[in-house]
Amino acid sequence: MRTITYAQAIKEALEEEMRRDPSVVLYGEDVANFGGIFQITSGLQEQFGEDRVFDTPISENALVGAAVGAAITGLRPVVELQFADFLFTTGDEIVLKAGMWRYVHGGAYKVPMVVRCPSGAAGVGPEHGQCPEAFFMHSPGLRIVSPSTPADAKGLLKSAIRDDNPVLYFEHKLLYATKGEVPEDPDFLVPLGKAAVRREGDALTLVAISAMVPKALKVAERLAKEGHHIEVIDPRSLNPFDRPAIIESVKKTGKIVVAEESYKTLGVGAEIGAMLMEEALEYLDRPLKRVAMPDVPIPTAAVLEQFVIPNEEKIYAACRELLA
Amino acid sequence: MDNKLKLDIYKKIILSRRLEEKIAELIKAGQVGGYMHPGVGQETLQVAAIATLRPGDYMLYAHRGVAYWVARGIPIEKVLCDLAGREGGTNHGKGGVMHVVYPELGVLGQSGTLGGCFPIAAGAGLSIKVKHEDKVVLCFFGDGTSNRGTFHESLNFCAVRKLPVVFLCENNGWAVSTSTEKSTAVKDIADRRHGYAMPGKTFDGNDVEQVFDAVSEAVKHARAGNGPSLLEAKTYRLWGHWIGDPDSYRSREEVEKHWRRDPIPIYERKLMDEKVLVESAKAEIDADARAQIDRALEFMQNQPSPNPESALDGLYA
Repeated sequence: MRTITYAQAIKEALEEEMRRDPSVVLYGEDVANFGGIFQITSGLQEQFGEDRVFDTPISENALVGAAVGAAITGLRPVVELQFADFLFTTGDEIVLKAGMWRYVHGGAYKVPMVVRCPSGAAGVGPEHGQCPEAFFMHSPGLRIVSPSTPADAKGLLKSAIRDDNPVLYFEHKLLYATKGEVPEDPDFLVPLGKAAVRREGDALTLVAISAMVPKALKVAERLAKEGHHIEVIDPRSLNPFDRPAIIESVKKTGKIVVAEESYKTLGVGAEIGAMLMEEALEYLDRPLKRVAMPDVPIPTAAVLEQFVIPNEEKIYAACRELLA
Repeated sequence: MDNKLKLDIYKKIILSRRLEEKIAELIKAGQVGGYMHPGVGQETLQVAAIATLRPGDYMLYAHRGVAYWVARGIPIEKVLCDLAGREGGTNHGKGGVMHVVYPELGVLGQSGTLGGCFPIAAGAGLSIKVKHEDKVVLCFFGDGTSNRGTFHESLNFCAVRKLPVVFLCENNGWAVSTSTEKSTAVKDIADRRHGYAMPGKTFDGNDVEQVFDAVSEAVKHARAGNGPSLLEAKTYRLWGHWIGDPDSYRSREEVEKHWRRDPIPIYERKLMDEKVLVESAKAEIDADARAQIDRALEFMQNQPSPNPESALDGLYA
C-alpha cells in the first residue's frame, strides 16, 4: 500500500468527499487562497470553485454558527478553525447550537457538520496549543474524534463528513508530517466509536490519545524488551466512546494507564477512571494512573512546555510503577 | 397590497393578540408553566413582514410573541402544546415555546441565547446560495440583541458573501429593563448598515404598509442575488418582558402613551376607512379567533405529557 502523511490524508478525505457529494462545502480563515495555515486545503478552491471553498473573515462565531444554519438547510459544511483553542471563542455556537439544535427542536433537524480543529502543543503557547477534547466530551450532542495515524485521519474524516451529527475533528499539529499506509479506496471509512488495539499484550492496558499514541507504542516496545507485554489502545473517537474495548482489555490486564494531552482534572483519563469504577472495578488489581497535562496553561518556552507535556519518560514511569 | 392580503394580515393579528391574552391568562392561573415573552404591540409588524415571504423561504423569529408562528401558518394548537410541555406540539417538550419549529414552513427554530440567530441565518443564506435556490432568509431580532458580537460577525459575513438574508430589527425601546438609549450607541439600529455596506432603512413598525413595503423591497433585493439588508421597525413593547414581569422599570405614563398608539386599533380604523373591513366582519373575525383558540386549548388539554424516558431520546441523528 502507498504511504502518505497525516496532512495529505486529511486533504485526500476532503477531496474525495467533496467530489462524491456536492453538498459538502469547506470554509475558514485562509483556507482558499493560501491553502490554510497548515496548508491542508491548498488547491481545493481551484478544484471545487469559489462557492464551495472560500476564505472567511476572522469571525469564529459566524463561521461555526453558519455551519449549523447551513447544515439544517441541506449542506454538509466543513469548517476549519486555525487552532483548536479557537473553539472557546465560539462556545455558544458549538455547545448550545451545534450540539443541541436537534434535541431542543424535538428532532426536527439533523446537523451534519464538521469542525476541523488543529490541536496540540507545538511551541505556540497557551492559546494555540491545547488539546481541548475533554471540554467538549462534557457537552451533549457533539461527536469527537482524534485520529493518531494517517489512515485514521482519512477514514475518520470521511466518516465525520458523512455523519448526520456535528463532529469536532481534532487533528494534532505534530502528527501532520507523520507517514503511514493509507488505502486509496474512496469508500475507505473508519467508523466513529470504534477503538483500535495498536499493540496486543496482557501485562497492562495503556490508553493513548492522539499524539500520545506513537509515544505509547515506543514505551510498549521498550517494556517488551524488559519482558512486559502491554496492550496499547487508541480510542480514536471520544464520542461515541468505545467503553467495551477498554473494559475487555482491563479484564485481561488488570492495570491501566491513560496518556493524554488534556489537563488532568476532568480530562479523558478522569472519565475513563470513573467509568471503570462503575463498570469494571473488580477487574483492576492496581489503581488507575493518569499521565496528563498538569492544570496550568501551556507555557511557550520550549523548556517549560517540555516540562508539562506528557512524554515517553512520564508514560514509561507510570507503567513501570504499576508493573512493579 | 390588495384587500385580501390586508384582511388576511388583520385576521392573523387578531388571532395573535387573542392567543397571547389567553396564554397570559393560563400562565397567571398557573395552568401552564414555562416562560413566554409576549409580543403584544408588535404583532402587526411581525405579521406584515412575514406576509412578504413565499412558502419555501426561511424564517428565524425573535423571542417575542406568537404572531410569527400564526403568520407563517403553524397550527396554534401546536404552539399551545409546546407552551404546556405536552406531546402534539412541534418539539415534544424538549424546547418548549422558546424553540417552536416547523421545517415544512421554513421555520428553522430559535436560538435561546439572544444573537445566536444571526450566524444561523447566515448559514441558511449560504445554503441558498450554494444550491442556487430561489429563497430568502428573514431574520427577526430585537434592538438589545443587535449589541451581540454575532450581529457584527454575521452581517459582515453575509455582506461579503452576498447572502440572501434580510435582518429585521424590532426596536421596541427596551431590552428587558434596560432602555435602548442606555445600551446602544446609535439611535437608529439601521444606521449600523453603513458598517457593512448594505442597504436598509428605519421605518414605523406600527404601520402595516410601511413594514410590508420595506420588507418586500429587501426581500426582492435578496432574491435577486444582491445580498443582505438591515431594516429597523420602530415599535413598542406594550407588555412586560415576560408574563409575570413586574415591569417596575418603566413609567406608567410612557406605557400608557404607547397604548394609545396600539397598532391594532390603528390598523382596524384604517381598514374600516378603506371599507376593507366592516363592523359585522370585525366581530366575526374576533369570534372566529376565540373559537379557534378554544378548540386549540381543548386539543392541548387532551394531549399527554411526553414519556419521561423520552428525555434521553433524540440527541443524535
